[in-house]
Amino acid sequence: MKVGFIGLGVMGRPMALHLQRAGHELHVWARRPASLEGLAATVCATPAELGRQCEVVFTVITSSADVEAVALGPDGLSAGMAAGSVLVDCSTIAPDVARRIAARLGEQGIHMLDAPVSGGAQGAIDATLAIMAGGEAAVLERVRPLLACLGQRIVHIGPNGAGQVAKACNQMIMVAAIQATAEAMRLAAAAGVDCARVKQALAGGSAASRVLDVMGERMVKRDFAAGIEARLHHKDFGLVREAARQSGVPMPLTAAVDQQLNSLMAQGWGRDDTASLLRVLELA
Amino acid sequence: MKIAFLGLGIMGRPMALNLLKGGHDVTVWARRAESMLPLQEAGADTATSPAEAVRGAELVISMVADAPDVLDVLRQAAPGASAGLVAVDMSTIAPAAARNIHDELAALGIDFMDAPVSGGEVGAIAGTLSIMAGGSEAAFARAQPAFECMGKNIVHVGGSGAGQVTKAANQIVTGMGVLAVAEAFAFAAKNGVDRSKVREALLGGFAYSKILENHGQRMLDRNFKPGFKSWMHEKDLNIVMQTAHELGLCLPGSAATAQMFNAMVGSGLGEEDSIAVLKLLERLSGQA
Repeated sequence: MKVGFIGLGVMGRPMALHLQRAGHELHVWARRPASLEGLAATVCATPAELGRQCEVVFTVITSSADVEAVALGPDGLSAGMAAGSVLVDCSTIAPDVARRIAARLGEQGIHMLDAPVSGGAQGAIDATLAIMAGGEAAVLERVRPLLACLGQRIVHIGPNGAGQVAKACNQMIMVAAIQATAEAMRLAAAAGVDCARVKQALAGGSAASRVLDVMGERMVKRDFAAGIEARLHHKDFGLVREAARQSGVPMPLTAAVDQQLNSLMAQGWGRDDTASLLRVLELA
Repeated sequence: MKIAFLGLGIMGRPMALNLLKGGHDVTVWARRAESMLPLQEAGADTATSPAEAVRGAELVISMVADAPDVLDVLRQAAPGASAGLVAVDMSTIAPAAARNIHDELAALGIDFMDAPVSGGEVGAIAGTLSIMAGGSEAAFARAQPAFECMGKNIVHVGGSGAGQVTKAANQIVTGMGVLAVAEAFAFAAKNGVDRSKVREALLGGFAYSKILENHGQRMLDRNFKPGFKSWMHEKDLNIVMQTAHELGLCLPGSAATAQMFNAMVGSGLGEEDSIAVLKLLERLSGQA
């Protein structure tokens, strides 16, 4: 199948390569040509041109505004994609923006799924991403073989936007868990206790989690080089706050963690790993 | 001075009336024509569009709900503007939005000033609002005679956006202040102590504040009529949190307070005064 891919960053590149390895004909477009280096794919001049040539198009882009521009802007995907083709947006964006894009594309008979992913760069490389899809079930079934190249757990959450809601929930739990891990590590260190031992003990009990494993390990080693850059979690927390506001649902813990992320950004650690929340605690 | 006034809600109407009382030549415009009647009876001219309202005016004042409304009415007004028109927006909007509007209008030759107010409906009627202005010296000088009809404590804080920054700071203090008083009262009540006595005692010490005095009394009276509606306080705290997010600013107290107001809006207290945060606290502590 002719598959388009836009957004060849830390997450997008390995995902695109998996699709290619599965035998699909890869078409790409990038705002910065440098990100196409080393890819043996058909390079398109605009998203519209890419859309014209592909049956299914994937996007993995950072911001709501950029996804909207690539999908609906001048020379955007909507100017090229045929009726019946599918846009699979794996970016993490605001649920209402996802719904708006889906509605606009729907007017032209173009299908859209919001299909944000969780699992980080390693999950993208290992093709073990968790994929949370919003949109029509029949459309998901059509592209499921493609998504199966990227991850094993593919869940249809509900209509358009529902995938993004699930991703917001994912981010809330995960970053709060990182903060909890950082606080535990900070307390252990302040009490003169070996953090590595604490982590080792906890890993066998009720507090065991993937976050404790991965992020706790980074904190113990004081390795703050990104996995996923903290600025992206910071961005996601802006989306979560807005979603909480639209629903009138109180989120006291999320709001507190959000402030720690603001502090992290102020220190200039946005391009480091979110394990840097430990360093924020050390400022006080 | 010939002044156009756009937006005649709870705040805008008494503010425009005070301009008339101050002897200014006021033309009003409001989205709903019936809101203009009381002003017309008081001697104001009425206009059928913002552009018509500003024709020949030296100063235009807007008092509407949110940034998109400000932009909308001033864009509509622009074609009627005479050279050198000064536009003063007294609504509460985000500092960044105010700066953007300033830049857009500057390109059309209109000098824009943000001048949000504090003091509520009571202050608007009495002409005792606090006015915090951001913009050029020239715009402030033009607007000052109008400000003096509407307010008492008038401060030119700085350049464009500085007024809105000040208002956001005001909302941080008042939001946390109302919550602090409500928490103190919930604390006293759960301990079986008379809150009115607690208030009386605290008024003599370092915990004295206007909020303890006025809002505290209304809490004791369980008078939750607005005043200042909690959904508007939530909106303003959202401006604070959004700005903090953009700047990388850690505001843990404001964040917790914003979530309390968010919960109020979500649970049907949005139309009540912000002191209804006491009701939410009581619900959360099993005191309701």
